[in-house]
Parts: sequence; structure tokens; C-alpha cells
Amino acid sequence: MKTKQLCIALLAVTAAFSACKKDSEEIDTVYPTIDLTGTGFPQQCSMIKRGEKFIFKAKLSDNVELGSVSIDVHHNFDHHNHSTEVNDCGLSAVKQALKPFLLIKDFPIPIGQKTYEIAREVSVPADVDAGDYHFLIRLTDKTGWQTLKGISIKIN
Amino acid sequence: MKKIMMLWFSTFFCCGLFAQTYPLNGIVTDDFHRPLAGINLKLNNTNYFALSDSLGRFAFQLSNGRYEVQVNAIGYYAARNQVVVDGKAVQLVLKLAPYSHLLNEVTIKSKAGDDHRKEESLNVELVKADFIQRNLGGSLMNTLQRLPGIKTIGIGSGQSKPLIRGLGFNRVVVVDKGIKHEGQQWGADHGLEIDQFAAEEVELIKGAASFVYGADAIGGAINIKAPTLPAPNSFGADVNLIGKTNNGLYGTSVRLFQRKKKLFFDSRFTYQNYGDYHVPADTLYVYDFAVALHKNYLRNTAGRETGIHFNSGYVSEKFKTVFHLSNSYSKSGFFANAHGLEPRRVDADLHDASARDILMPYQQVNHFKLINRSSWIAKHHQLELELGYQHNFRQEYNHYVNHGYMPPVYPASINIPIDLEREFDKQVYAFHAKDQMALGKHVLQVGINGELQDNVINGWSFLVPAFKQKALGAYAYDKFRLNDRLLLHGAIRYDVAQLNLFSYTDWFFSETASGSVERLVRADNLSRNFNSFVWSVGVNYNQDLFEFKANVGKSFRIPIAKELGANGVNYHYFSYEKGNRTLNPEQSYQADFSIALNSGNWTAKLSPFFNYFPNYIYLNPSAVHDYFYGAGNQVFEYAESEVNRYGGEVQVKYQLSPQLTAEVLAEYLYAEQLSGDKKGYTLPFSSPASALFNVTYAPEKLWGSSAAYFSLDYRITSVQNHIVPPERKTAGYSLFNFQAGTQIRMGSHPLNISAQLQNIFNTRYLNHTSFYRLIGLPEQGRNLVLSLKMPFNFNHQ
Repeated sequence: MKTKQLCIALLAVTAAFSACKKDSEEIDTVYPTIDLTGTGFPQQCSMIKRGEKFIFKAKLSDNVELGSVSIDVHHNFDHHNHSTEVNDCGLSAVKQALKPFLLIKDFPIPIGQKTYEIAREVSVPADVDAGDYHFLIRLTDKTGWQTLKGISIKIN
Repeated sequence: MKKIMMLWFSTFFCCGLFAQTYPLNGIVTDDFHRPLAGINLKLNNTNYFALSDSLGRFAFQLSNGRYEVQVNAIGYYAARNQVVVDGKAVQLVLKLAPYSHLLNEVTIKSKAGDDHRKEESLNVELVKADFIQRNLGGSLMNTLQRLPGIKTIGIGSGQSKPLIRGLGFNRVVVVDKGIKHEGQQWGADHGLEIDQFAAEEVELIKGAASFVYGADAIGGAINIKAPTLPAPNSFGADVNLIGKTNNGLYGTSVRLFQRKKKLFFDSRFTYQNYGDYHVPADTLYVYDFAVALHKNYLRNTAGRETGIHFNSGYVSEKFKTVFHLSNSYSKSGFFANAHGLEPRRVDADLHDASARDILMPYQQVNHFKLINRSSWIAKHHQLELELGYQHNFRQEYNHYVNHGYMPPVYPASINIPIDLEREFDKQVYAFHAKDQMALGKHVLQVGINGELQDNVINGWSFLVPAFKQKALGAYAYDKFRLNDRLLLHGAIRYDVAQLNLFSYTDWFFSETASGSVERLVRADNLSRNFNSFVWSVGVNYNQDLFEFKANVGKSFRIPIAKELGANGVNYHYFSYEKGNRTLNPEQSYQADFSIALNSGNWTAKLSPFFNYFPNYIYLNPSAVHDYFYGAGNQVFEYAESEVNRYGGEVQVKYQLSPQLTAEVLAEYLYAEQLSGDKKGYTLPFSSPASALFNVTYAPEKLWGSSAAYFSLDYRITSVQNHIVPPERKTAGYSLFNFQAGTQIRMGSHPLNISAQLQNIFNTRYLNHTSFYRLIGLPEQGRNLVLSLKMPFNFNHQ
């Protein structure tokens, strides 16, 4: 019977296509992590003094290999907020920026590292505006997965 | 009998090429399929009459338009039915119900769609206005995603763009009335500027359709056909009313048309107004930041839309020319607590005061179109010419935020408005000319299309430079009817294109590595020339109960301005997007098959495909950050990689009883990159496998109407674990949707009522291909959609 043959042909094609689905070798789908607990700095609501230096410290890790890390410190006088943390540290009133502190810096991580403790000195000029700031950390792994951590800090 | 029918079809097919009229053929039978001779058939509002012959057959020869067939026969119930003639032969089966039986109205079954499918080696689906009315979604593409293999990339409740078998953006062409629709296809947050109420018939082509629609149709094409012409001597109107509970949408679409004999006009006005949409959640987590939702509303996702359409023209036996004028406008908000992926603190009181206001950030788009379509019939030729002008104007407004090195206070000296984040202004001139010739068993189509684009940008945020683009292509397509069962297709196409990108310099100063400051030049002038040759071959084999089609072809796409020239930070994704000036045109080889069985109560269709790209162009997230141009953001660079894709759709329909049908629609897609940085990974926006189970009950007669239906959809979507940065794995989900409708009479006017209950159980789920997926925004909760349609006929019979 013709219909029967056709049905078999149909099934065969389906089977052939589903057989194509081979399990490819493990691919990395895990995001890297930024750990500021313990000795990490700054932490949510940390206080930083103008005209002084501080050490940016974080434990970075990934399941395969770390990529690079970048920090971005900018003012939040307008309360625009891109904090990824829950509490807001009691924002001061909205104000106009005059000479806000701005720092954008990226740090390569040595090749082949699964974990890396970063410690970098950052100096804050004495003449910048005091107030609410964001400290944004961006971390990638070798594959291109990126984790963001946005922290609210105060500079005074 | 079947052979006679076949013969008829082939005759009509040929006839259609020589004259402007098309046959409307049919057969009149009684309840037991016995032919009825001597039955009087009348086309209302025309002078056409016909009498069925001894075999129950009858025929009309009609020009394009909408007609009403009226049957009056002694001993049978009188009946009227609508039929649309649109460039093809139409076949009807009229079953008359005798007085002695239960009332059984005439059923008209148009096979025009089926015939078209059998003569096309590409995978084609036709969708009519009644499907759109029944399944009305937030946008046309949203409505169409009920079809297997069609998905959307959506943002909010009113905007979405098509994904055909996992390919979207500039890999899918949308053709509106013969001219390619040109908006800002590249952006995931940009919808398609099409009014779904003005779409009467939509043709979906799954798989490469490059040779007709030009470059870009690598993934497929969505062809929104020009509305059918009103019937001669008609004067009428349509009124649509729409309401939705989830986002408080109300809207209307009103149509007014008139046709004398050769002159006509057809106009439509659509207005929709919607508020913020509801989700089944009271708290969301954008990253770890908790966002409390006021009464489950997604803040600032309200919108407005208007559409104005005016078509007018002259129609005669051998010549037709029609002007289509349209303008669609929309203004819609972006979710206020995140602009793209960036969490934002908002003034909750301000936003929550009204669910209908549109505050910052929001987008505003206006799309104007003027198209002229003309056709001539001359002996063996059918000539068509389409000319089009489009103006797409998109503005994205947002509070000024000093990202990166932008000054903390927006300088008064800058003449870009302080709230204008991005603006894209596109003007497109296009033409398409084709000649279709009937040469014995061959039908040969030759054509050329050309396009001229001018793109200007504005706004304080930079992503894509301004550019001009010129493209010209020519094609030839032969359809060879070997015999009644076998059709062969062959097509070739050649394209040339030139793309000119213009330089752009930042309006603000950035800090260099040496500590000095300068205005960065983000784009230099760039001129690229492209040319490409593509081909396609196909076959159709049709038996009584069996249809087979296959198509193999090569297609291509020239890189878009963003792929070549992007050089800025997209704060929607915290990505520094970097174009690649040296990209080659993207090539694709695709094989499509389709096997359909049609036996009595069963219809089944399997459509697998296989697709290979030697150089798929995609935005590759790298491991590095860029300090200078990228303001410390992760570098996303356009790259090419070898890609394999395969998948397919299954459709099975079973008629349990004359009133009850069950249907399964399923789709599967797999993509893998075979080379490059993301070797082993899938492609972005790979939609997960899904299956839709449907049961439809359409009673013969309910409350005096034969048009009632009740339909339940159950869709299961699988988990998507195949991801590529920056995507996230998406859990599977299942949804229930219910549709019902009927036609009632209000005096002498029929009133069509359609209702839908979407997401019946208010299920919280994430859509893998939604713009807001990355910040975990759930999709719309329960939604009741009500739509009314009332046609008016001002011509007294």
C-alpha cells in the first residue's frame, strides 16, 4: 500500500533528523564570580576619603579561565543608580555635579587563571566633589561571559 | 472526475496569465455529495449569473475583488457566501441543505491557497484576515507566531520583529505591497512598523527566498499582500473594535471603500492606546536589585499607535495602477526600572500615578510609505512595476546620563536635545519591475529591483554611523510544468551594492592613555562594493493524497552598516560594540523539504531543513574590556564563523467529526558554530523546541450562526540550554490559550465577534527570545482580548 510506504518514508526522515542531534563536547556556560566578602574592598556603602588612596581588592574566579576586569567609578548625585546591591546606603539629596570623580580602568588578568585576587591601588584627588558614587566592577571570562557588580559608595 | 478537475486547474492557471480575469469554478451538490443541476447562482452587486450544468458545475470569469455568491434553489435553503478573487483561480464546493433537513448552510471552500502551495517549491504558508482576527496578538508578528517555525523577538506588549526558524533581524525580509519594508531591523528593541488590521493576506516563506526578494531574505520572507480590490460598484465600510484586559488596550480600525467600475478608493484608520502591561509577579530582580512592581504593572510599558492608509487607483481589463499611501506612528515606553540591562532608580510615585502615561525612557517611530503598483497584460506577458518611497524616523528619548567620559553636566552649547539619546532617520527609494511570460510549459519570470537609502543619525549616544546605500539586482525564474504531477523550478540572481559610511566624531572629550584629552573619531568614511550571484532549484511532486517539495539554493546578504561601522557603547547591554570594516557578504546554502499526506480525515506535513553558512556574521562578546573607545566596557566585536543549522516543523491535523478537529504543530531548531571564537556554541536567539496542541469545536449551528468556533491551544516550550554569551538558560513552560467567536446579525448587518483568553492560568514564564530576557522580565500574564468586526454595505441591492 502506497500510503504505508509513505508513512515509513516520513518516519525514516524524522528519525534521520533526530539522529543528527549529537551531544557536542562540553561548552562553558558558567558566569565568572566577583567576591568582595571578607577582605574585599570597597564593599556596599564603603566610605572613601578624598585625597587618599585605597586598594581595590576582590576575589575573582571562573570555572574555566578568567578574562579581564574593569572598574568604573562615577557619581550618582542624580540618583540614576545602577547598583546591583539591595540596600541603598541612605542617599544624600540630589545635587549638581561640579567636579565629580571619574575613573575608568581595565586590568588584564594573567593568562590561564581560574582564580585571581586582584589588589590595585586607586588614588582619589582631594579636589573632587564629595557625595554618592557608584563603583562598577565588570568581570569577563575567556569565553566572553560577563558578570557585573555595582556598588554604592560614599566619598567624603 | 479528479482528472477533469486537474485539467481544469491547469487550464485556469494558463488562462490567468493572459487575461486580467480569473475563473471562479465550482460544483453544487446536496448533502450526499450528489451534483445538483440547474441551480441558479448569482453574484450580488454584479450582473453575473450562472446555472449549474448536469454535473453540478458552474463557472464565472472575474476580475480581482471580493464577491458574494448567492444561491436560490427550490427545495433548498437560500444561502450567501463571501469569496475573494486575488490573482488566482478559485474553486468552490457548494453544499445545499434541503428544507427537510436540519439547516445546513452552504460551505465554500477556497482551494486557491492549496494550489499556490502545490506550485511553489519553497515552504509557504498563507494567513488570511480571519486568522489574524482569531489570534490577534500585540503586533502582526506576535499574531503570526502561532505558526510553526515562526517566533518573534519582542519588547513590551506592542512591538516585535519576526524570527523565521531562528533567523531574524536583517536575515528576514518583510515585503509590504511588493516593496521591501525598511525600518531599523538590526535592533532587538525595535518593532516592525506594520498595522495588522490593514493586513488581509500574509504569505510566509520559510527558508531562503533570496532570488525574488533580494539579498537579506536568507532566513525567509514575510509578504504582506496588497489588499484585494473592492468589487465593482461596491461602496462599503468595516468597523473593528478591539479591547485587551492585560494592558488596558482599546482601539479601533475603520475602513471605508468604494469602487465604480474602473476607479476605486480604499481607506483605513487605526488607533490603539494601551497602558502598562501586567506580569504574574510583584517583585523582579534586575541583577540582585529588587524591583517592587506596583500592582504587578511593568512600569512605563504603555504605548499609542496610529495607522492611516489610503489606496486608490484605476483598474481595467489589461491595465491596473494603484497608489498605496500609509503612515504608521507609535510611541511606547521602555521598562523604567532598567534601560536595556542597566538597572535604574526611578521615581516610583511618578510612574505609578498612572498606568497609561509614557515617561522616559521611550521611543517614538513614524513610518511613511508611498507605493505605486502597476500591471499590464499583453498577449503572453504580464508586466508589473512597483515604485516606493519610505521614510522611517525613529527617536529614543531618555534622561541624560553621563556614561563613560561624557561630561557630568550636559553642555548648553551642544545642539542635540538633552533628552534625545538616539535618532535614526532613513529614507528609501525602491523599484521592482518584472515580466512574467508563458512559454508553452514554461512560465518565465524576469525582474530587476533597485534601492537607494539615505541614513542620518542624531542623539548624544553613538552606535551606528550615518550611511548611504545603493543596490541593484536582476533575476530570472523559470517554472517548468513537466506533467500534471511534476513541476521543476530554477532561478538565478545577480546583485551589486555599494555602501558608504560617513565619519563621526564624539561631541565630548575622552581621556587618553597618556592623560591628555581628545574627541574620539569613532567612524571614518568607508566605501565598500559588493556583488553576488545566487541560485536556487526546486521540485514539486503532487499526487492525489501526497505532496512532496524540495528546494536547494544559495543566498547572500551584504553586511549592514552596524556590522561594518559600529563603534560605540550600547548601554542597553553594557557592551562596546565594534564593527569590522572587512566583513564579506554573508553566504548561506539551504535545503528545504516538505512531505504532506492528505488522507480523508488526516493531514500531516513534515518540513525539515538544513542550512550551512560558511561565514555567519554575528556580534561576538570577547574576554577583553576597552578602556578608550569602550569606556571600560566589554568588547563585542562583529566576527564571521562557519555555522550549521537544521530543524523543521511537523503539522498533523485530524478531523474527529465534522465539528471537531485536533491539531498538533511542532517545531525544532538546532544551530552550531563550527569555527571561530564561539566554536561549539549555538547562535544568539535560538528559539527552543515547542509544540502546540489544539482542539477546535465548530458547531454546525449555534444561536443561529454557522460561524461559531471554540478553540483551545496548549503550547509546551522546552528548556533552552543551548546558549551563547551573553544569553541565559531559559526554563521550559506551558501555556493555555482559548479562542472563541461567532457571527451574529444586528438587523441586516453581520457582526463578527472574536474573543481570546491568553495565558489562562496566569503562568509566569520567560521568553528566550525577548529583549527583556537578560534581566529576567516575565512575559504578559492573563489577557482577555475582545474584537468586534462589522461590515457595512451602502449599496442597496
